[in-house]
Parts: sequence; C-alpha cells; structure tokens
Amino acid sequence: MSKRVQKNGRFAFILFALVGGMIGLSFASVPLYRLFCQVTGYGGTPQIQAEAEPPSVSERVIKVQFDANTNPKLPWRFKPLQREVTVKLGEEALVFFEAENLSDKSTMGRATFNVTPYKVGLYFNKVDCFCFDEQVLKAGQVVPMPVQFFVDPEIFDDPTTKEVKTITLSYTFFQAEDETVSDNVTDRSTEVEVSLRAVARDVVNTF
Amino acid sequence: MANEAAAHDHHDDHKPAFWTRWLCSTNHKDIGTLYLATSMIAAIVGGLMSWYLRLELAEPGIQFIDDFQFYNVLVTAHGFVMVFFVVMPAMIGGFGNWFVPLMIGAPDMAFPRMNNISFWLLAAGLILLIMSALIGDGPGTGWTVYPPLSSSDFHPGPSVDFGILALHVAGASSILGAINLIVTIFNMRAPGMTIHRMPLFVWAILITAILLLLALPVLAGALTMLLTDRNFGTAFFNPAEGGDPILWQHLFWFFGHPEVYIIILPAFGIISQVISTFSRKPIFGYLGMAYAMSAIGVVGFVVWAHHMYTVGLSVDTRAYFTAATMVIAVPTGIKIFSWLATMWGGSIKLEVPMLYALAFIFLFVVGGVTGITLANASADLVMHDTYYVVAHFHYVMGLAAILGMFSGFYYWIGKMSGRQYPQALSKLQFWVFIIGVNILFFPQHFSGLAGMPRRIPDYPDAYAGWNYLSSVGALITAVGTILFFVVLWKTLRSGEKVADNQWGEGATTLEWTVASPAPFHTFEDSPDMTGKAPAE
Amino acid sequence: MLKRLFALIPAGVLGLFASVANADTVMRSKPWQLWLQDPKSPSAEAVYDLNVYLLVIEVVIVLFVLALMCYILLRFNEKANPVPSKTTHNTLLEVVWTAVPILILVVIAVPSLKALYLADHTTDAEMTLKVTGNQWYWSYTYPDHDEIEFDSIIIEEEDLKEGQPRLLSVDNPVYLPVGTNVRLLLSSNDVIHNWAVPSLAIKLDTMPGRTNETWVSINEPGDYYGMCSELCGVNHGFMPIHIKALPKEEFAKWVAKAKVEFASNDNAPKSTTVRLAKADVATR
Repeated sequence: MSKRVQKNGRFAFILFALVGGMIGLSFASVPLYRLFCQVTGYGGTPQIQAEAEPPSVSERVIKVQFDANTNPKLPWRFKPLQREVTVKLGEEALVFFEAENLSDKSTMGRATFNVTPYKVGLYFNKVDCFCFDEQVLKAGQVVPMPVQFFVDPEIFDDPTTKEVKTITLSYTFFQAEDETVSDNVTDRSTEVEVSLRAVARDVVNTF
Repeated sequence: MANEAAAHDHHDDHKPAFWTRWLCSTNHKDIGTLYLATSMIAAIVGGLMSWYLRLELAEPGIQFIDDFQFYNVLVTAHGFVMVFFVVMPAMIGGFGNWFVPLMIGAPDMAFPRMNNISFWLLAAGLILLIMSALIGDGPGTGWTVYPPLSSSDFHPGPSVDFGILALHVAGASSILGAINLIVTIFNMRAPGMTIHRMPLFVWAILITAILLLLALPVLAGALTMLLTDRNFGTAFFNPAEGGDPILWQHLFWFFGHPEVYIIILPAFGIISQVISTFSRKPIFGYLGMAYAMSAIGVVGFVVWAHHMYTVGLSVDTRAYFTAATMVIAVPTGIKIFSWLATMWGGSIKLEVPMLYALAFIFLFVVGGVTGITLANASADLVMHDTYYVVAHFHYVMGLAAILGMFSGFYYWIGKMSGRQYPQALSKLQFWVFIIGVNILFFPQHFSGLAGMPRRIPDYPDAYAGWNYLSSVGALITAVGTILFFVVLWKTLRSGEKVADNQWGEGATTLEWTVASPAPFHTFEDSPDMTGKAPAE
Repeated sequence: MLKRLFALIPAGVLGLFASVANADTVMRSKPWQLWLQDPKSPSAEAVYDLNVYLLVIEVVIVLFVLALMCYILLRFNEKANPVPSKTTHNTLLEVVWTAVPILILVVIAVPSLKALYLADHTTDAEMTLKVTGNQWYWSYTYPDHDEIEFDSIIIEEEDLKEGQPRLLSVDNPVYLPVGTNVRLLLSSNDVIHNWAVPSLAIKLDTMPGRTNETWVSINEPGDYYGMCSELCGVNHGFMPIHIKALPKEEFAKWVAKAKVEFASNDNAPKSTTVRLAKADVATR
C-alpha cells in the first residue's frame, strides 16, 4: 500500500474514533445531565439530604407553597393538605399530601418534582418524601403522603436568591409502567403509617 | 508532442460504461453531479410542500388542508428536505466534491468508493423521509422532533421511526463525506499548497466537514435514544419514568446550532471565490477570513440554548447564551467587511454569479441583524416561536444560503458542463427570484412581531394582510424557480461552449487551469505550486 | 431620548390603523400591524423598549452596509475603474472593523442583560394562577381562591358572537386582577405547550412532570389575547389564551361568582375525555 494510502487510512481511523467519541459523549450526557442538575440545583432540582444534619435554625422565615398535579392517565386524586407553611430557615418541616385511588383496581404511581423559582433548588433540602419510591394504592384507598424538608439559611446570603419570599414545591404523579399490581403487594398504607410515626417521633424529639 | 498530449487527453477522458459510471462511481466529478441532481429533485419536492403551505395560508380560514396532521407533516418534511436534502447535498456533496480536489490539485478524493457510498446513503435517506410522510399518519412534530409529542404516546405508528431512520442514514452519509473531505484536504494538497494558500472555498468546506464530524454524531445519539424510547421501553425523555424532555432539546440543539453553520459556511466560501473573481482582486484579509470562519465554527458549538430561551432555563444560563450568541456577530462582521473591502478598488463585472453574491451579502446582513434581536433572551421573549423567527432563518438559509448555491451554480456551470448559461434569461431569473423571496419573507417579520405563532394552519383575521402578501411572494418565487430549471435546460442543451477560463484574470484558482468541461480525470500528476504567489 | 423618539414611529404607524379607543383595552394584533403589540405590564414595557433600541441599531447597520455597497458599485464597476488595485491588507481597518462591532455588542448587551435580570426578579406575589396545558385547551386553577378550576376551550367559528375575534375567543376566559403581582405556575398534562400573551411579555413552555414559574402584573383592565406557542399536535393553532383583567373590586366579585360556577371537581378527568373525542376528528 502506498504511503499516501496508509496516511489517509490512519487519519480516517482517527476521525472515525472521534465520531465514536461524540456518540459516546451524547449517551454520557444522560447521567451527566442528571448529575449536573443535582449538584447545581438548576431546573429547580432540590437537594436530597436523607441523613442531613440541618444547619442551625435562623429567625428569618420563608413561605413554602405546595402544588400537586396528576397525569390524566393515573386515576388518582392527589392534593396537598395545606396550601402553604411559613418556616424558619434551617428548621425541618413536615407537610402532607393526600392521594386517593379513584378507580376500582390497584394502581402504581411515581412522582416527579421540582421547586420554583428554579434558583432556590440548591437551598431546598428534602429529607424524606414519597417521591423516592413507587407508590401502590389499592382500589379506593386514601393515603397521606409526608414530605420532610428544610430551607438552607444560606439562601439569604446568595445575592440571586435573597429576594425570594415564597418557594413553591410541585409534584406530578404519573402512572408507573408496571401496571400488573396484584393485591398481594405489601399494604402501602401501613408502611406509610409506620414511617409517619417515625417521622413524627423525630420531629417531637427535635423540639 | 501534440500526439502525446492528444493521447493524454483521451486517457483523461476515458469514462466507464453508463451503469458502472453512474451507479458505481468513484469519480468525484460524477458524484458531485449526482449530488447536485438529487438536490434539485429534492428542491422541487421541498418547494412544492412550501408552496402548498403558502397556498393554505394565503387567506384566513381553511381552504385546502383540512387535515391538520397532514399540515404538520408538510411543515416537518419541508424543513427536513430543505436542510438535509437540498442545501447540504448541493454545497458539500455537490460543489464540495466537484471543486475541492480541483482546487487543491488532487486527482480525486481520499476515499473514492466511500464517496460513492455517501451519495447512495443520501438517496436512500431521501426516499425513507418521503416514506415517513406517506406511511401511517406521518411525523407531525416539526423538524425539531420534540418529545413527548414525538414519543409513541402521541405519535404512535411507524412514521416517526421512519423519519429517525431517514436521518440516521442521511447523517451517516454526511459523516462519511466529512471524513473523506477532511482527509483529502489535509493529506492531498498539491506540493507547495500550504494550508494558508488554499482557496477560501476549501477552508469553508474543511471547517464545515469538521463541524459535521462533531455535531452529527450527537444527533445520531439523540435519535437513537428517541427510537429506543418509542420502541424498546427506555425512558430518556419520558418524565413518567424518570426521563426529561428537556434533555432532547439540549442534545438536538447541540447538533442543531452547528448545523446552521454547516448550512452557511460553504456559501461563505463560494461568495469569497465569486467576489474575488468578479472584482478581479484577491480576497482582502485572507487570513482574517479563514480564521473568522474557524471562530464561527468553534463558537457555534457553545451557543445552542438560544433556541431554548422559553423552556425555563435559569437567568444566568440565559445571560451566558445571550452573550455567547452575540459574540458570533464579530467574526461574521469581519467577513462582511472583508468582502466589501475586496470589492473596494476592484474592477467589478456584474455577471450573474456576482449579482447573486451581492444579493447574498446584503440579504445575509438583513437576516443577521434580526438574529441579534433573537439572540437577546429578554427581547426574544415576544419573538420566540413566532413568524419573526421564521423570517429570520429563511433570510439566512432560504435566501442567503440558496443565493450562495445559485451563485456557485452560475459560476461553475461552465466548468462542469462546458456550456454557458443564457445571459438575458439568467438575469431575469435572478430578478424574479430575488423579488419573489423578499416579498415572501419580509412581511413575515411583521406578522411575527404582531404575535403570529409558527406552525399553525389558520390564523386570527388580523394577520391576513401580511400572509396574503407573503403567499404572493411564494408564487413569484415559484416562477423564479421554474425559470431556473429553464435556464438549466437551455444551458445543457444549447448553451454556448466556454473557454477553460471563461472569467478571465480574476479566476485564479486551479479549476480554471483545466479544460471546460473538466475532463474525467484531472491532476493525475499534481501541479507544482511551490513558489507560486500565495493566496493571500 | 432618541429611543423615545424612535418609539413614536411604530406607535404612530399603529395609530394610523387603530380603531376608535374603547373604554377597555383590547390587546391583540391589528391588521397590517408593523410592530409589537403595546406593552401592558412592567416586563412588557422593558422588552418593548429594548426591541425599539435594537431596531434602531439594526436599521443603522443595514443602511450602512447598503450605502457602502451602492457606493462600491457606482465607483468601482469595470467601466468606472478598469484597473483593479492590488490591496489586500490594511491593519488599521481590520482592527477597526473588529473593535467597533465588539463595542456595538457591548452597548446592546448591557441594557439587554439588565432587562433580563429585571424580569427574573421575583417580587412577592399576592396570588397564584396555575395554568395547565392540554391537547388542545388550557385549564386554569386558582389555588388561593378555594381551588376554582375550569377549562378554557376555543369557541368554534359557527358559535362566535358579535365582537368575538375568530380563533382567539374561548368559552371561559381567565380572570385576573389589575395592578397585582400574580405568580404564574405552568405545567402540562401531556406534551409541551407554551403559554404566551405578547402584550404582557409572557411566554413560557408548559411541560409534563415539571412546573415553570413566572410572574405578571397587568397595568390596566381589558382583554389580553395570546396563542399556544409550541407545536403540540393537530390543534396547536386552536388553543388560544384570553385573559380578562378586572379592577380589584370587580375581580373579587368575579371570584365569588366563580366559586359557585366552578365548584372544584376534584381533579376528575371528565373534561379531558370530552375534548380528546373532539380532537380525534382532525378537522375543527
């Protein structure tokens, strides 16, 4: 093979590798994008702090309002049980949503969530919430769903977020794909009750 | 001596038999011709779609297209056809294949057989795209294919999948073509033709090819994710299963923005050649021009989210993209002023290619300034998804890029066919087309400013005036397009024979040193370019 | 100052076509409109002013290039200038035509970014309006007013009454109080839509599984129209937005009426199925 053909071949190989690299990068963007949002709070992605030590409680307060959406495919009624709470910064708060399965079969739901305005995502910390797992509701079942959170006092030190007086926490419940839910599934409401008691205990102990 | 020369010519012109020649070509000129022919066929298809749309939009109410899914399919197909099957094949596959080897003194492309595969993949892609519109309900998603609208929940059936396949195939065609062009330009220049001596058209094609190489794979990745979401249960873009529709937008526009520079850069290259030839002056500031194009290419990769200002990006993100997008105006301005400075002091001959190049410069500036408005996230708030955006991108793509193509056609048809275009008819074609496209697209700025959204088959009565005018412009443009095909026919059938260098001393690039029409094989022996006057 | 002066030109042209002023503002496009709809909220005013400013700069640039080209064609065509020069460099010129555009861009960027950050400034809202996009209509919820909830569906042409603009009229307009900071929460039940009202400079995507937020304060009472601004399927062009802005006292009266008329229907998907059936037929 002539030198020129060899040179051309080698160069082409490098370029093909570049193409492969770019395809790889585009698939890598999937976890990278999620990671980026989690780390920066962009897009109103709250921080998940399952075992966080909440920072010291400040005297400043902020209002948190609640919003609930249900995708039309899921035959549930899903609403917040309180329109809003006013919390001290750094103070852990416990709020409830309620979901009712309006249909006559068991269905499984999964929730997505975000906070608005988006820029407060970095300072909104969720300690515990129902959104981490799928929820199964039997026909006609009504279940309270707790959310435990705190707002980091550093929100007032950040020049872009210090003017925020109200945060909205919004959930959307979708029907989870694995529809074949048998009634042998663990009674979710008992689980919820148990975790509720545990949370209530924690809250009582904190104060 | 004469006998040797004659024998040499005969050898240069020895062509394979018809079917081998046109089905299994490994000749850059023939493949270039195939691309140009395909582009023209696709132009008729894409044009018919847009004229049908304008026919419906001429008056308020629904007159012709009462199937609104079909309307959305036409909008989608028109976009895909024009971008992927008209402009790209003509500029890169057509003029790129024909003239890059000639301009650098190479006998052919680095990989002649891969060149052939590239072409036939394109043809397959076009057929697949047309099939996607005819099978099932058709993809009514816009060329941007946003999920969830494009997901299987809202577009069940095979149409979108066919569309995805068409784009994969066309993308593969372009990626292979890009590799071919990059290797050819880097490795096969004639001795003495350094990178800084090659013509600006070759620079333009090189940068375009690099953009293709880096951007198209991202589209391929995103399309694959959409395909698996639709058919294999993945959830990249489905929020119900933990995915995010905005991820699609980021991936698509990461490809989509460099794509528009892929569309316009070859036109920049053609215009540089034409302006220089018909001013009989070398291009002003050659190095500035080459590096301006490189800067446009590089910066073009970091501005994609200006297509996403209303999805809910954080304010800092929008501020960054506003600033970065406006930065591109600087190298672009350098180019515009350099073209003007080339003409300054020149001896300008208003041949038809030059008319098109002059129209290009002015109309590209008009399209470019509306881009400045759109670049600003705050100003864009009232313009996003209105006809102002449609007007902007048609000015820079539908006018400027197409004018670049016409300029290249008229400039090089003599070299390709050996025959000259009919002067008076071609000038008429120029004027009819220019008047037509301006009446077609300028009023759309007004309807967009007034609030008319995109992609709708009917509109509130207040927008009727500008829409009617725009449709009249479409009619005139159609006449201008028909005239073009008449010009083409007359040129090929009965055009005057041309000399090797029909344009005189202004035409200084290597293609003008070979015969017209260019022989089947050229530069089998590389010309020696050492010591020749540098391009700058 | 110059900016104010130039703002008069489109306003003047608009004035030529404006119908006799009504007691209430009606904000939608007028026939042969050349410019933006009049701004009727603080953000809209900032956006409008910025656009006038940009237009002036852009027109100057285009005219400048046009003038240069005309001069070049007259002075350097082959008859007027048979011998071309050989100049291909002029460092000073190249520096100038790099530096001046940079300057122009800075001059544009400063007010532009100011306007951007201003619109983002979340003043505290007195009430919230929740907007949900559906194929192919909008649903509105008032979480601070006893969860009033209703759908806003386009009125078909044959059902239009006198004075109702075609393709912009809906059965239940959304009511908002004037001079009040309203928080807007936007989401979707299916595909991506976009809630847009040009005269108030509102335009934000509504996405499934995600809530977007912005705010508006409407300057004066009247009717404000917009259209869905993200391709969402066959009836994308037929899901308009109609806001009726009322003085605060009248808004309170409307709230009382609406609580009765639109008693909260507990999120049941009744209206969705009705609408889908209609939309299955591709014609309107």
